[in-house]
Amino acid sequence: MGILNIGTRALQANQIALETAGNNIANVNTKGYSRQSVVLQTVAGQFTGAGYIGKGVDVLTIQRNFSAFLTRQSTLAGSTQAADATRADNLKQLETIFSGGPSGLGAAISDMMNAFSDVASAPTDLTARTVVLTRVDETAARMRATSQSLDDLQQNVAQSLTQKAVAINDLAKNIAAVNNDISRTQGSGQSPNDLLDRRDQLVRDLNQYIQTSSINASDGTVGIFIGGSQALVLGSEASTVSIVTDDFGDPLKSKLAINRGGQIITLDDSSLAGGEVTGLMRFVNNDMAEGRNLLGRLTLAVSTAMNNQHQLGLDLDGNVGGNIFSPITFGSQNIFQPSSPARVNSGDATLSLAVKDPGRFAASDYEVTFSSATSGTIIRRSDGTVTNFPQSPAPAAPIFATVDGLDFSNPTGTANPGDRFLVKPFSSAANNITSVFSTPRSLAVASPVAGYMATKNTGSLQQVSLSARNNPPTAVPVTLTFTGPNSYTRSDELPTADTTVFAYTPGQAIEATYPDLPPTDPLTYSQPLQDWTVTLQGSPQAGDSYTVQANTYSKLNAGNATAMMALRDKALFDGSALTDGYASLISQIGIRAQSANYAADVSATIAANVEKDRTGVSGVNLDEEAAKLLQFQQAYQASAKMMQIAQSVFQTLMQQLGG
Amino acid sequence: MSSYSPRLSTANTYDNALRNLGSRQTSLANLQENLTSGKRVNRASDDPTAAAQAERSRTRIERIKADQRALEAQRNSISQAESTLGDVTDALQGIRELVVSAGNAVFTGAERLSVAEQISGLRDQIFALANRTDTNGLPLFSALGSALEPFVGPQAAPQDYTFKGLPGQTASSEVAISPALNGDAAFMHQPVRDGVYNVSVSTIPVDRQLTTDNIAVSNTALVSGSSYQIKFTAVGPGATPGTTTATYDILEMPPGADPAFPITGIVVPDYPSNKPVTIAVTGMPGLNLNITGTPAVDDTVTVEPKNSIFSVLDDAVRNISSATNNNAATQAVGQALHNIDIGMGRIAAARSQAGDLLNRADRISANQESRSIQLESNRTNAEDLDMIKGISDFQNQQTGYQAALQSYAQVQKLSLFNFIS
Repeated sequence: MGILNIGTRALQANQIALETAGNNIANVNTKGYSRQSVVLQTVAGQFTGAGYIGKGVDVLTIQRNFSAFLTRQSTLAGSTQAADATRADNLKQLETIFSGGPSGLGAAISDMMNAFSDVASAPTDLTARTVVLTRVDETAARMRATSQSLDDLQQNVAQSLTQKAVAINDLAKNIAAVNNDISRTQGSGQSPNDLLDRRDQLVRDLNQYIQTSSINASDGTVGIFIGGSQALVLGSEASTVSIVTDDFGDPLKSKLAINRGGQIITLDDSSLAGGEVTGLMRFVNNDMAEGRNLLGRLTLAVSTAMNNQHQLGLDLDGNVGGNIFSPITFGSQNIFQPSSPARVNSGDATLSLAVKDPGRFAASDYEVTFSSATSGTIIRRSDGTVTNFPQSPAPAAPIFATVDGLDFSNPTGTANPGDRFLVKPFSSAANNITSVFSTPRSLAVASPVAGYMATKNTGSLQQVSLSARNNPPTAVPVTLTFTGPNSYTRSDELPTADTTVFAYTPGQAIEATYPDLPPTDPLTYSQPLQDWTVTLQGSPQAGDSYTVQANTYSKLNAGNATAMMALRDKALFDGSALTDGYASLISQIGIRAQSANYAADVSATIAANVEKDRTGVSGVNLDEEAAKLLQFQQAYQASAKMMQIAQSVFQTLMQQLGG
Repeated sequence: MSSYSPRLSTANTYDNALRNLGSRQTSLANLQENLTSGKRVNRASDDPTAAAQAERSRTRIERIKADQRALEAQRNSISQAESTLGDVTDALQGIRELVVSAGNAVFTGAERLSVAEQISGLRDQIFALANRTDTNGLPLFSALGSALEPFVGPQAAPQDYTFKGLPGQTASSEVAISPALNGDAAFMHQPVRDGVYNVSVSTIPVDRQLTTDNIAVSNTALVSGSSYQIKFTAVGPGATPGTTTATYDILEMPPGADPAFPITGIVVPDYPSNKPVTIAVTGMPGLNLNITGTPAVDDTVTVEPKNSIFSVLDDAVRNISSATNNNAATQAVGQALHNIDIGMGRIAAARSQAGDLLNRADRISANQESRSIQLESNRTNAEDLDMIKGISDFQNQQTGYQAALQSYAQVQKLSLFNFIS
């Protein structure tokens, strides 16, 4: 009875189709599920004299609807989005640490500088002096607090990096296991849809952490690679990854390393493309590092400039001023040598670092590479600027190079070619900054030099400013005798005083440096300024004179407080003034956060669009499944009807025969 | 072929709708944050340039506040110095009147003594005024720096009063004025510049008169600042009867500085014996002096430079109180009046400078205030929210969010399953 057979087959096929639709409906919200559909085929007909008689329908296979291309695209876009979103989230926190406004570090610095104004108005007022000390203390505290917040954030990031590495290892292991399962089903000739879905989902999950590339093998397994070409999963074997420090063992840097059969390979940041781990590494190695360097530079430049100026003053008891802030010393936390597994230095050279000019600092780390004992390069990491040494003219040994206001010296040992050093002058500068003294009397606000005009002067000479560059000044007194409204002679001229006539321009500084010596400073190519500097204005008459001498009336003098206030305008941060340093700092971090937000927005949109396309192929549409249910239900009913008819035909036959 | 219509995954449609709703909610929340904080820039990443600009403006505003406070202190000092100089002028005026009264020919020695005592009281007052300090304890007349009491004296020769400080004047800047006046220029005198000399005459018997006028500086380049003594060495009959001639020497006191001295035997041309003679003394370098009266042998005229207003007042007190007769009193009064006038001139000059500084302080203050307003508006423009725009944005966003919620709810109700019964 062909019809019974056909009916039975049709019932079975349609039931399977209904089950498949039901399975689709059931998995409508299952992550990674790919819509399945039944592929029906006609059973080959029976040849008779009357031609081929159809034998009904059969289920060829259950097809998994997916597009390898879209799945891959969606996985990659998701990976990029995860990286961008993670970086943006963390930058948002970094940005909060560097907040502006009256509660920010910038306001603390500005208040501290302005507090000197009251001392300048009343040098003997101990209250005004105490306010300055409090402000200095407050500024140091805020610098430390900012540094502490950075440390907390860094620790947080390091922790989540470690957790994510564990997650990567778990996922890799699972993928290897699924690979194994899939390869065992290879013989069946049918595709293991659910295992494939599972593996695709695992790969998608893995890509949330780190972007991978995959290569299909002939046995149905997939090879997963990270960092371009490092195999994370091959067949049923998974490698492990871990978070390590960089070549120099810098505790503030995080790198991803893969362990392949006992060999640990550190992956370069630039080879990692997406995923949360990449986002975090970019954040910690670039954004965070820049934040730290900017804060460190701010701290180091402000504290050094203030300490230097304060040492040029005299306190209420006439003593030379000391440090205001704890002086920054460079040590092992600033200079690193490569550590194993990287190639370690073969020479025994040690490096040391000193501040030459806080006004030239660049917020960056430096990498020193020796090509011989005395030559090599210094690379500024922030922008890759290369400085070759030995420099010309060469600085005094043991300093081998002066870069960005820093003296690099090699006090002991000899470097071999290829030896490298990592120099981080700023990253930890704000960690331990404190204010170092607490008695208001020892605030050195008086200037060690003072000037006076001869009482017989008849011109309109006025003193604009006089400040010391050396404490106590050595080559004083010096008398400038004017020979006319625009010229003067000096009493310190050698060998005979008052021979050369110098031009006088009102409002222009006259320096103690005399006579002009050949340049010795590789930075400025001019004789460093010495002792004192004075600016006069007004029009002197011939015979008028002005004398610079040691300050005999230091108690009521506030010349150094004025000089401290003048630091507000000192160009310290790439040419911008001390008080504007923090504004450019927050805008630099703000720009990073803004671009990270923008990138996160864009990659989220791309990821959403690609995912929409992917689910367009693989996702379940309930309306479609409902329609299919109706369709196959009808077909099922029709098949059942066919059976009924077959039965009634059969019965009719039996009755006739039996009748 | 029909037009392209992609399949939609039901779950993904939910996800997308939820994500869109979520992002709308986020931007609504951001707008609300802007509205409640009143700021357009809440984080530097909202607008890094504006954030930096606002931060710089805030720093500058704070700085102007500090500068203004310092300027207020400077203005106080200078205005106190100005009023102090006014007090000094009043006291000098009083002294001047007393000195004039001492010249009264009918005054006895005792009366002159009482006048001198009054002058002495006023002189002490002036000395105290010159050492006055401002509210912060800084001397008002400290010039480029001085001891706590810039004027000291009287002390032993060669100089009775000294200015213990650094003469000179601080320049005013665009945000500050000099906090102190040049006390040296106000109270101390220079022989070259001011020509303040006290000329005294040895005791002249009552039957004779011998007085001098005031020193006139004829050539500042020659003035050395030395003291001189003019001594009559011979007075006798002239070439013609009825005339007299006199001979005098000029000595430098103390001798030695100028090798040209002593100049001896300067002969006065014959003059009528019955009338007082006026002798023009030109032998002192750069200085001219007229001696009037009837000189006699051993009469001496002493010319001393006075280096401060205090020395001038001390001389007035000493010479008036010690005047034994009218001749001495006249001489003392004449010298004192002349020298006090010069001193008052110096003080008036310093006072006008103080007035100038106060004017400048007013200008600076006004300037700084308008700068402060400008900076505040810069800051506001950079980071504050335009409320009208903020509210309108917020309402737009709110309407959009509401529409999204409603349409989402309605679309999600549609399903084929609703029609399968």
